[in-house]
This record gives sequence, structure tokens and C-alpha cells, in this order.
Amino acid sequence: MTEFLQYLITGVGGGCAFALVGSGLVVVHRVTRVVNFAQGSFAVIAALTASTLLASGLPHGLAELSAVAVGAGAGLLVGLVAIGRPGTPPGASLIITLGLAVFAYAVEVLIWGDQPRSFAGVPGAVEFAGVRFQAHYLLIIGATAVVFAGTAALFARTDIGRALSACASNPYAAKVVGIDVVRMGLLAFGIGGALGGLAGVLVTPIQLVTFDYDVTLIVGGFAAAVFGGLMRPLHTLVGGVLLGVAQSFVAGYGNAAYQMEVALVLLLAVMLRQAVRTPVAEQEPA
Amino acid sequence: MARRGPAVAVAAATLALPPLLSGSHLTVYVLLGLAVMVTVGLSLLMGYAGQISLGQASFYAIGAYTAGLLSVHSLPPVLGLLAAPLVSAGFAVVVGVPLLRLRGHHLAFATLAMQLILLSLVARADWAGGAIGLQGIPRLSVGGYEFADDLSYAYLVWAALALTLLVARNIVASRPGRGLHALASSETAAAACGVPVGRYRLTVFALSAAFAGLAGGIYAFYLGYLAPGSFPVLLSIEYVVMAVVGGLGTLWGALVGATVIILLVQLLNTLGTQPGMPGYAPSVLSYAVYAILLVLVVMFLPHGIVPAVRDRSTRRTSS
Repeated sequence: MTEFLQYLITGVGGGCAFALVGSGLVVVHRVTRVVNFAQGSFAVIAALTASTLLASGLPHGLAELSAVAVGAGAGLLVGLVAIGRPGTPPGASLIITLGLAVFAYAVEVLIWGDQPRSFAGVPGAVEFAGVRFQAHYLLIIGATAVVFAGTAALFARTDIGRALSACASNPYAAKVVGIDVVRMGLLAFGIGGALGGLAGVLVTPIQLVTFDYDVTLIVGGFAAAVFGGLMRPLHTLVGGVLLGVAQSFVAGYGNAAYQMEVALVLLLAVMLRQAVRTPVAEQEPA
Repeated sequence: MARRGPAVAVAAATLALPPLLSGSHLTVYVLLGLAVMVTVGLSLLMGYAGQISLGQASFYAIGAYTAGLLSVHSLPPVLGLLAAPLVSAGFAVVVGVPLLRLRGHHLAFATLAMQLILLSLVARADWAGGAIGLQGIPRLSVGGYEFADDLSYAYLVWAALALTLLVARNIVASRPGRGLHALASSETAAAACGVPVGRYRLTVFALSAAFAGLAGGIYAFYLGYLAPGSFPVLLSIEYVVMAVVGGLGTLWGALVGATVIILLVQLLNTLGTQPGMPGYAPSVLSYAVYAILLVLVVMFLPHGIVPAVRDRSTRRTSS
């Protein structure tokens, strides 16, 4: 039983990172219809930035927040290139973000080198129902819960959120009522960058981060987002947590080496199930 | 048939080139030829069947491992080379039946997932050398002739590439080729016109895998050593960059795209390994080249280099 709880908590913690990366994908996709392949890079950039800031003596908290801001800035830059030029179709934007993800490699290796980095998170361990685990997991789970509640409130209750949702459901009509669709798209990319950055900053203390860690994050994040059809943040949270828990159980009770496959097979299974239930005509871009 | 001219000229020039090249340049020639073979298949898949594959390097890897494993177990190497495209194509059919139900970015992520699963399985398969790799692959020999030096491999690649281009050209010009073209713009419309959509998509997927598999087979004999690390996800992305930069759905595009990028990366690699340059320079430069070329071409030449040049020249002759 204690083992079970242990795996459950570490799984939820790991799944939160996927959920955050996935929710960044969802925010960008909802508003712009672009699947942002560079979403994992924001996490890596923020993680590496935080490690440098902490090493240079900035206190915890401030360093992490600055790193998240750097992630948001990176998101904005990617958005400017991917959708800044009017008339770029979403399919082309996918390829552009793929290119920018590779460009991020060049920047990351140039600044930080290709060795893995990490930094300390919340110190100490917590005991709960007879299970000891790193206190940092509580921060990950708490921060994710706050961020998801905040995103949901942003979309449902604020004018900006309503404008973002309007762009998502009908860009043409949004333009007619005076919403600047491109600016909303850039805002979505900025939010996506911050969400990705937060994932990177939260996950680094429990997971070494190298420049090419973005592949793991983007695949896991996409798997989480696919649960909600790349549109619904709450489904993404559930998907990410399920994915993390499944990985943790496989690693705990089975073989740690097969963790990655769990995410990938789950991703394939969910996508195929959705494809079987959707007629081809609905999948084609209009 | 005035348009045969450039093709004959390029064929003759590339045929005359290898004896004039020095050792390291000959290596570039061989690897470039192999990259073009993979890119031709991917360009067909992306341009004609309208499908993005981010896992094309997995078919390259399957071809390489097929050829390598068969010949390590003392089967005639030529058998391994023949099996490489067949096994790759067979694998593509098996995974293609479920995966090709997906479209667009879903298929892109599915093929990426396929490659990650494959790499991780190979890294754990002791019978395939595991993460350390498969060593001691003999040189290719056909009958009594052994492909021993780089020059012979250059000509082998030339011949294999010629075969690949010929097959691809004939398919594009055929009735199924036109069906494929229709399929790329609208699946529903193509299906309504009687194009067997599912079968054509699967066929192109398998064909692109066969091209990659053949290239992989030659690669195995050329290098004599294989490891999962030789086929990273980045390699699949590089093929996408080559296909997109050259121009999707054109055979010349695959040729030009791969050539431009490989020569440019090679040039920067030489620059980056100059004394005084930091150790990370070559990798930073090559990442930057792939990224910047891809982004610029998609933004400013959305159909790729070759179609853009062709449009300009036809406009000039007509005006």
C-alpha cells in the first residue's frame, strides 16, 4: 500500500509537467489552430535559465519566476515568426515551429553546452499516510492546480479570455467584432511559453534536463493534450496526470526502462480511437 | 522531350565526379546520395500523399539493421541488401494500416512516436547489439566482386539512386500518380472520383519506406557499424527539412534540397572545426542551418526552391 501511494504521488508530480506542456499546446491551438512543436523548448530554455540564475546567486522564487518570464518571451518570439506573417496556413506554421525547435537547440548548446543540468527544488521530505516523498512534489502539484484554475478562470471570466475564445471558435467573426486576431494569437503563444516555462522550472529538480529533453516533454504534452482533442484544458490535465501515473506504475511494478513506451503507446491508442470515431471529411482542413 | 536535357547532364556529371574526389569528399558524395534516396521517398509521401512523417529515419534504420544482421549471421551480403527495402516496406505496411488513419499533426506525432519506440526497443535488443551497436558488418560483395573502397560505394549509391528516381518518376507519371495528386488536395474529392484512397496512401508510405530501407542497407555496408544513436529523431527532421526546402512532390526538389543542405552543413562543419573555434561550434552551426533554412523557405518560398525557380523561368520565357 505504501508503495502504491509512493508511485501514485511521484506519478501525479511527473504527470503535472506533461499537463502543463500540454495545456500550453491547447492554448495556442485553440486560438490559432497551430500545433506548436516548439512547446517543449520553452520548458528547456526556462529550466536552463533558472539553473544559471540560481548559480549566479539569485534567490529561489525570483530565479524561477524570471525563468518563466523568459519562457513567455520565447513563446512570443516563436509566435511572431509562426503567425506574425498574415496568411500563413496552420500546416505551414507546424513546420515553422518544428524549425524553431531545432533553432532552440543551436541557442541552448551555444549558451549552456550539451551537458545535463539540474538545481535543487523545495528541500526536505514529507511524510503522508506512512509514505515519504520529496516535498518538491507538493509544490509541483500545488502550482499546477493553481495554474489550471487560473487558466480556466481567464478563459471563462475575463474579457481577454472571451476574446481568445472568440478567435478560437470563429476567427472571421472575431475580426468583424473588432478583435485583433493576430494579437490574440501572439498572446496565446506568450501564455503557452509561460506554461511551458513553468513545466520546465518545476520538473528540473526531479529530472535532469538536457537541451534535447524537449522531445520527451512535447510527446508527453501532446499525448496529454490529445485527451482533450487539443481543445480542452481540463481533459489535458486529466490526460497528463493519467500518463504520469501510468508511467510511474510501469516503472515501479514493472521495468523502469519501458516508461517512455507507455506514454507513446498511450498516445497512439488515444489518437487512433479518436480517428476511428471521426469521419475523414471532418478531419480535412476547410 | 526537351526536359530530359538537364537530367542527362546531371547524371553524366555525377557519374564522372567520384574519381576526381578525395577521400573525405567521397564520403560526402556517398552520404549525400543516401540522403537523396530517403528524401525522394519522403517528398513523394509529403507532396503527393499529403502526409507528414517525422519518423522516416526509422525506415532507414530498419533497412540498415536488416542488412547488417543478415550479413553478420554469415548470409551473403547481397541478400541483406535485397532484404533491406523489403523489410522496411513490410514494416511500413504493418504500422501504416493503423497509423494512416491519422492526418496532419496527428500523423506527424504518431510517426515520431513510432521512431522513439523503435529506437528504444533496438537499444534494449541484445541480439541487435543493444545500445553499444552492431559491429563487424562485412563489406558488400556481389558474386566474386567485393565493394571494398569508397569509390565502388560511390557508384553503388549512384546506381541505387538512379533506380530510386526512375521508379519514383514512373509512379508520378502514371495513373496512380495522378490519383495521388488528387488525394493530396482533397481526400473526399479524390475518393468521390474513384481513387482508392486508403490503398494509395499505404502504397506510397511503403514505397517511401522501401527507398529509405535501400539507402539504409547501403549505409550499413559502407560504415560496417550500426548503433541506435546513428538514427536520432533529428535525422528524421533533417529529411523533412531537405524535402521541404527543395520543394515537396518534385523529384528535382529532393535532389536539390538534400544537396544544398548537405553541402552547406559540410561547409560549416569544416569552418566549425577550424582551430580556435569552440568544440560546440559544428553542432550549433548545423542546427542553425537546418532551422533557418526550413523557416525561411516555408515563409518565403512555400513551395520550395525548385518550383520557385521553375515558375520564374517559365514566366520569363512566356513574357
